[in-house]
Amino acid sequence: MADATTPEMSLGEKLQALPKWSLYVVLVILTSVPLFAKLEVPNKPVEASIDFYGKIMAVPDGSRILVGSDWTNSTRGESKGEMKVLLRILMRKNVKFAFYCFDPQAPQVVRDTIREVNAERIARQEKPYRPFDDYVSLGYFPNAEGTCNAINNNLLAAFSGKKDTPENSGPKDVFESPVFAGVKSVKDFQLLALITASSTNTVTLERIKKIPLLFMVTGVMVPENQNYYASNQIVGLAGGLKGVYDLEQLMEHGINNPGPEMIPSSKWGVVPGFKGALNSGMGTAYYPTLHFALLLLIVAILTGNVGMFLAKKQAKKGAA
Amino acid sequence: MIHFYSMMADVDPKSFWNGTNNSPELIAMIAITTILGFIVLGFLMVAPIQLRKYVIAAVTFLSGLFYVAFYLFPVPVGRKPQDVPANIVESVGFWISDTQPVVANFSNIIGGFLLGLGIYSQLHLHIRRITRQQTDWGFSVVLIVSMVAIVICGYGDWIMRQGPKGSELQLQSKWGLLNYGSDLLFDGLLQQMDAAMFSMVAFYILSAAYRAFRARSLEATILLIAALIVVLSLMGALEYVWNGGINNLAQNDANSFIQNFRLTDIAKWLKDTIQTPAIRGIDFGVGIGLLAMGLRLWLSLETTGGNQ
Repeated sequence: MADATTPEMSLGEKLQALPKWSLYVVLVILTSVPLFAKLEVPNKPVEASIDFYGKIMAVPDGSRILVGSDWTNSTRGESKGEMKVLLRILMRKNVKFAFYCFDPQAPQVVRDTIREVNAERIARQEKPYRPFDDYVSLGYFPNAEGTCNAINNNLLAAFSGKKDTPENSGPKDVFESPVFAGVKSVKDFQLLALITASSTNTVTLERIKKIPLLFMVTGVMVPENQNYYASNQIVGLAGGLKGVYDLEQLMEHGINNPGPEMIPSSKWGVVPGFKGALNSGMGTAYYPTLHFALLLLIVAILTGNVGMFLAKKQAKKGAA
Repeated sequence: MIHFYSMMADVDPKSFWNGTNNSPELIAMIAITTILGFIVLGFLMVAPIQLRKYVIAAVTFLSGLFYVAFYLFPVPVGRKPQDVPANIVESVGFWISDTQPVVANFSNIIGGFLLGLGIYSQLHLHIRRITRQQTDWGFSVVLIVSMVAIVICGYGDWIMRQGPKGSELQLQSKWGLLNYGSDLLFDGLLQQMDAAMFSMVAFYILSAAYRAFRARSLEATILLIAALIVVLSLMGALEYVWNGGINNLAQNDANSFIQNFRLTDIAKWLKDTIQTPAIRGIDFGVGIGLLAMGLRLWLSLETTGGNQ
């Protein structure tokens, strides 16, 4: 008759067999607690984020850009922070923008985000951005490839027939908006900023060639997009939560602005920040959480590996 | 308004694809196209299945051919509205350039129909499940009720916002039942559930990393170390401490050899020298694969996944 008692596990085996629930509990605690504490983590913005900030700040005040937005709340931890940073900069520079989406949920998500940033501005007694006059929603386009080709080839035909609703009025043709005043082609926009959590980055990159591209992508998309940044196919890249935090810090300190917190860059001259404005946002709020989550990931991987080595060592000893 | 029409007349010359609004020519063309469309549809409905296959292949080929021509045929650069083609090559180039946005609109409309097809398919499947009281038919009820509710509230809200009093709805105090319903269902439920679903990935990643990310071989060890360095470089606080330590070791000499071991620089080296070329190679391979697959689809040589 076989022995019914379970042999006692060695330390190595125990380290390799931590119950799932314990990992999950630690993850919940480690990612929740930092949200309640206001921590400012030291950070050095990466070159791609510095270029992003430099390029967007180089857009002349009062001009216009095109914004592509293809994120929904599934990636709001990163994408919403990116969108808010972009909107804050554009609104402070009075840059008008038109946005289009390749995801059916995205137009409403963008409008909600604009509403939030407008609420911040109203609370600080700044002028809110008005629909139609300051920005235009071009809506949802189911076919990304064809639409991007059309934007590059004939922007007016691509957006022909689209309507948006101004304040205190019924819907109007988007070309009546001041955002499109004098626009004849995509080249009349200073640049295209794309906030995406999907493959529309490559679709855009392959088809829209007449204006500079800035990408704001999720953390997992950074390695792929680093290629396009390294080859100058995109002129700036904000990647994941680190990108959001970088941009929030750049908004606070600028580039090459003399001072104890100076963010240096050999590629740029002095680019001002927005000292005293509301610059901290989701990046500042969530970056400590990311730290703790990554720390836990590292500890979990090390624990598993240490357990494996201990178990192997013990097995060898037993065999000897 | 004057600015708008003068701008459109300036930059948007009328063509076969761009008729004047409400003109008799445009109405006649719409009527003729509608009649032709019904004739083609009727023909397709009575056509034998074997013939349909060839019709699909022909439409696929022509659609692909258009984009092949769009990319490969010389198209006008810096064209002005008053420009006229000088020869047949330019005529074709102008035609392709003028037609591309229309083709893009076709594909957008077909994409819109796909949403409708999806809704039909979902309703068909779940209503059958409910009527036959199959396993978990209660979930099907929830799905259909949710779908109908969000369509009614969302569409009602959209219609109201498009109306003359639409701008008033920016104030929550002016909202009615449909507006509250839309807000609750879309922003309050759908969006939050979307975020909640995605956040669960964190638990799977942690569990999988703990169980599977082991240094079992030399390759796995190299991968593990590289990943560890990149992950550490994402932690600004740790990066700050590490780089500070290196700086101290180098006695603040920016040209010291040891400065190469700053976490930022090691991670950057890994990304620029190892990761980027590797991904470029993978992308290149994927691109060639897509080209081959695209050719097979374009020429209707790809039969897997369809009716054999």
